[in-house]
Amino acid sequence: MKRIGLNPIVIALILAVILFAVGGIVQPGFASYGQAMNILRLAAFLGIVAAGQTLVIISGGEGIDLSVGAVITLGAILVFRIGDGQNDQALLALAIALGVGLLIGATNGLGITLLGIPPLVMTLGMTGVVQGLILVITGGRVEGGAAPALTGLVTNPLILGIPGVIFLWLLLGALMWALLRRTAYGRRLFAIGTNRVTAKLSGVRVPSVLVLTYALSGMLAALGGVVLLGYTEQVFLNLGDPYTLPSVAAVVVGGTLLAGGVGSYFGTMAGALVLTLLTSLLTALDLPESMRLIVYGATLLLLLSLYGRQKALRQ
Amino acid sequence: MADVSLSAQHLVKRYGGVVALADGSLDVTSGEVLALMGANGSGKSTIGKIITGAVVPDGGRVLLDGEEVSFSSPQAARKAGISAVYQELSLVPDMTVAENVWLANEPVALGRVRRKERKERTARLLSLFEDALGPSVGPDSLVSVLSPSDRQIVEILKALSREPRIMILDEATASLGARQVEHLFELVGGWKAQGMALIFISHRMEEIFQIADKATVLRGGKTVGTADLEETSEEELVGLMIEGGGAPRHVEKPTEAAERAVLLETEDLRSSVLDGVSLKLVEGEILGLGGLQGQGQPDLLLALFGAVAHSGTVRLAGENVRFSHPRQAMRKGLAFVPGDRGGEGLLPIRSILENLLLPSWSRYGAFLNVRRARKDSEDVSEDLSLKMGSLEDPVSSLSGGNAQKVVLGKWLMRDPKVLLLDDPTKGVDVGAKGEFYKILSDLQERGVAILLHSSDDEELLGLCDRVLVMRDGVVRRELSGGDLNKSALVSASVGSSDGPPSGGAA
Amino acid sequence: MSAASLGGRLRRVALRQSYAFALVLLVVTVAVNYYLQPNFFQPGLLSGNLLLFVPLMLVAVGQTVVVIGGGIDLSLGAIVSMANVIIVTLMAQEPSASRILLALGAGLGAGILAGALNGFCVAVLRFQPIVTTFATSFVFSGLALYVLPEPGGTIPPGLQGFYYTNPLGLPMVLWVVIVVLLLWNLLRSTRYGPYLYATGGRDLSAFVSGVPVSSVRFLSYCIAGLMAALAALALALSTGTGNPIGGTELMLQSIVAVVLGGTRLSGGQGGVVGSIIGVVILSLIQSIVSFSPAPSSWQTLINGLIVVAALAGPGLFALLRRGVRT
Repeated sequence: MKRIGLNPIVIALILAVILFAVGGIVQPGFASYGQAMNILRLAAFLGIVAAGQTLVIISGGEGIDLSVGAVITLGAILVFRIGDGQNDQALLALAIALGVGLLIGATNGLGITLLGIPPLVMTLGMTGVVQGLILVITGGRVEGGAAPALTGLVTNPLILGIPGVIFLWLLLGALMWALLRRTAYGRRLFAIGTNRVTAKLSGVRVPSVLVLTYALSGMLAALGGVVLLGYTEQVFLNLGDPYTLPSVAAVVVGGTLLAGGVGSYFGTMAGALVLTLLTSLLTALDLPESMRLIVYGATLLLLLSLYGRQKALRQ
Repeated sequence: MADVSLSAQHLVKRYGGVVALADGSLDVTSGEVLALMGANGSGKSTIGKIITGAVVPDGGRVLLDGEEVSFSSPQAARKAGISAVYQELSLVPDMTVAENVWLANEPVALGRVRRKERKERTARLLSLFEDALGPSVGPDSLVSVLSPSDRQIVEILKALSREPRIMILDEATASLGARQVEHLFELVGGWKAQGMALIFISHRMEEIFQIADKATVLRGGKTVGTADLEETSEEELVGLMIEGGGAPRHVEKPTEAAERAVLLETEDLRSSVLDGVSLKLVEGEILGLGGLQGQGQPDLLLALFGAVAHSGTVRLAGENVRFSHPRQAMRKGLAFVPGDRGGEGLLPIRSILENLLLPSWSRYGAFLNVRRARKDSEDVSEDLSLKMGSLEDPVSSLSGGNAQKVVLGKWLMRDPKVLLLDDPTKGVDVGAKGEFYKILSDLQERGVAILLHSSDDEELLGLCDRVLVMRDGVVRRELSGGDLNKSALVSASVGSSDGPPSGGAA
Repeated sequence: MSAASLGGRLRRVALRQSYAFALVLLVVTVAVNYYLQPNFFQPGLLSGNLLLFVPLMLVAVGQTVVVIGGGIDLSLGAIVSMANVIIVTLMAQEPSASRILLALGAGLGAGILAGALNGFCVAVLRFQPIVTTFATSFVFSGLALYVLPEPGGTIPPGLQGFYYTNPLGLPMVLWVVIVVLLLWNLLRSTRYGPYLYATGGRDLSAFVSGVPVSSVRFLSYCIAGLMAALAALALALSTGTGNPIGGTELMLQSIVAVVLGGTRLSGGQGGVVGSIIGVVILSLIQSIVSFSPAPSSWQTLINGLIVVAALAGPGLFALLRRGVRT
């Protein structure tokens, strides 16, 4: 795919600043520190989920994980039920949620590698299964609570008025950088995304890397659900749905190619920020929902025209 | 058909900063076959693409029947009567032969495709190659199940179906078997008589002298001369193609191979393509795999490297091994350079550094020691005299010869004991070939055992101590010593002096 | 030709089609359904049940065309919603024949225009299909909400009644299927047929051969938009009201139906017959689950597992065959 002009991360960050400024002009109080923190926090949820999506998309082979929304909900519900509003079970609940996310992702990976099911189809199918699991676990009703430590981490300011979840996101950013650039796994991931045959003929065990990638995506989605719980303090059956396709959009806006083999998590972080700012701005402008949706879609299309274009057939 | 003439005059084409064509010209008229020759990167393919409308030139002009023309698309060129035969570039695998041949040219009536007519016309075209096609190749066969040579024939028929006045064959014989080439040349003779003009782009000297009347040579993007083939010799043509003569075609061969240790041997190796291959490879030798294309040579290499499923015995330094994945073969000191460099040997958009290190990342720790990795790649690049900007440049920025060095380099970093090569100098220019041969000879001296498949008979004869000629997935003959000459190689390849398949033992 | 050899010939033709596996699945689901609830197959009940799936069928057909051409359309659900509210809103204002025609024209036109927007972005501007149609789905959803913020409106009862009739004694579902298949056959027999399959199969080859690849892709999205609008009409006729968010579920299910029917998402092969079978299979799976003795909270999970198993089918067969051979 051909990209035009500058580094997409730079473009995304400039856009973010512009959006923030526009918000400040149009709606006094928008460009405040508190609001910025709020937006960063919301972006963190999307960003955490999109971390797994970044890995999946870099792996190529039309990689995509459409099950993240359902896994977010499942992760949140598991912590809600097991933690039950107390702090003492919190770590166990977290471990279980992450473990389940890992398993679901691994199942996706196995279906894709062993059975040759296209990622879009496999993860779409798993969404139905996970939704079914959620109904079985909850029996349609949701009982439990969000541990205070969790809500404290997410909602309350930690240092300089910055909520803990943002530090968590930054930490994740650092870990993702290390994973992608400083581990053999990361190098192999980029290789697989570029050309699977070359990778195999150079000794890379492609199926193992793929299964691990999708497993990580599931785990990160579950993590996203856990922190989201800390914010909403409630769970409902489609808690995670609004995050599925936006996580893909965040990755693309951040400069990662949908074809695979090229990308970075910093780009995704910038992309998550831009998308969240856009939504917040539109809400702050107090437009009716119909208008908000139209503007959101149109803006995405505009962003795509900047660097979402594919190579022409004619030279 | 009426007389036709085509004249390309001083064509120029640039791709970004790279000049593919600086001053390309050619002339061809009815009843004539013009050979277009040149080394890789000489621009011969680019001229072909301009004439057929696939590429728009930046300068110069094309005259058809004396009038200037400009083609905006291959379709436009076809309408003007110019048809090109690509190397399998224009076929859709999941569609049938008939659908492919008549794609975008289907016989229609009242808006609907006339399927029966399409099938009949296709059958007629197929009959032109009657006994040269694989069994059961018909209008309704799926292209995906056809062999590469049959697909090439479908490409030829597709070009023919447009009833062209000018036909361009761009490396069209590369995938064809000897009998099919004969057939094609007979047909060419007939087309010439009917007044067609043909441009034959190739680097196969024999075929050029057999079929062409004139030859236009390009070098470095410029036309350097046109020769009448009745009055020119092969050496003269090669002299035009290369500055300063050709590179040495062979290396010094070491003396007796008899006393050296057997590094690799197989017994009754079978796979979906191989039908029982047994061979022995000793250290420090270059063992060649020859024969016509598609007889199982690449598959043998892939099986040895653990990249495809296989059965039978494989022994490495006396020890039985069973590789189910290249990683296992790698760890035991094997290395494999694939035939399709860009598609299987490299990651073109990624940096030279990443390509060199791809098999070896696990040697640099859990948290990668990038500095050490960098140093190692610099060392290897120097050893190979790699001409590059920096290690961070994408591999796609390198020339064919240097890119091939990167493929080799990633293995040399691991000190392999056995090197498997699948047609490594295909598409590498003559100068780089010489460097490559030197590297091979250095490796040979160090005791590395090399198994080399090449489609270039001269290369095989010049480099190898022994050559195993393969046909239909088995080794038919082993040539060595006095037997190691061109005519023995060719006759073993086409099977004119067949005995039972040889075991190929040293 | 004797009956036996005709039957044998039919069998061989069927097995070679891309929907061969779907037929197997169909037979299996019909058998299980029959075992659990024989009454299900009473003509009246069966056609009534399948009638609910007509909107999905139409969307799946549109999705198939796009997928064969090598693309995918995630906005079809939103187009259904948008066309649905346009049709209902216009019809509800005044139940005259000219009004009805206007509503139909506007609805179908909106669907085609929406498809054209998608087609323009993907084929001409060369945006990536997944993210593009995701973006346009927001635009269409927004337009749907703009036209009709809350579910409501009514359509003339006469029209609705017509939807539930059996013209010439055949169920309406069958009519829809027959008409769709005839139109598909017609489309496929023109030059557009090979063009579409070539574009999805290997677009570079198609381009080099002179196929107008961009136009072919553009048209495929327009057709999908039209089918979505027809689905919206069916939805309006079956429910009798308009719903600005009625289409979302349809989009995802349409993809599943297409894949179940044997069409590969990478394009270049497959067909509408398979997708229609895929929709029927999905409907049968749903009834199997509801007839089964499983508790209601488990039904979604079982449904999901069966769908995944069905999707895994072809891959599983290939795996077993490979394992047996070597």
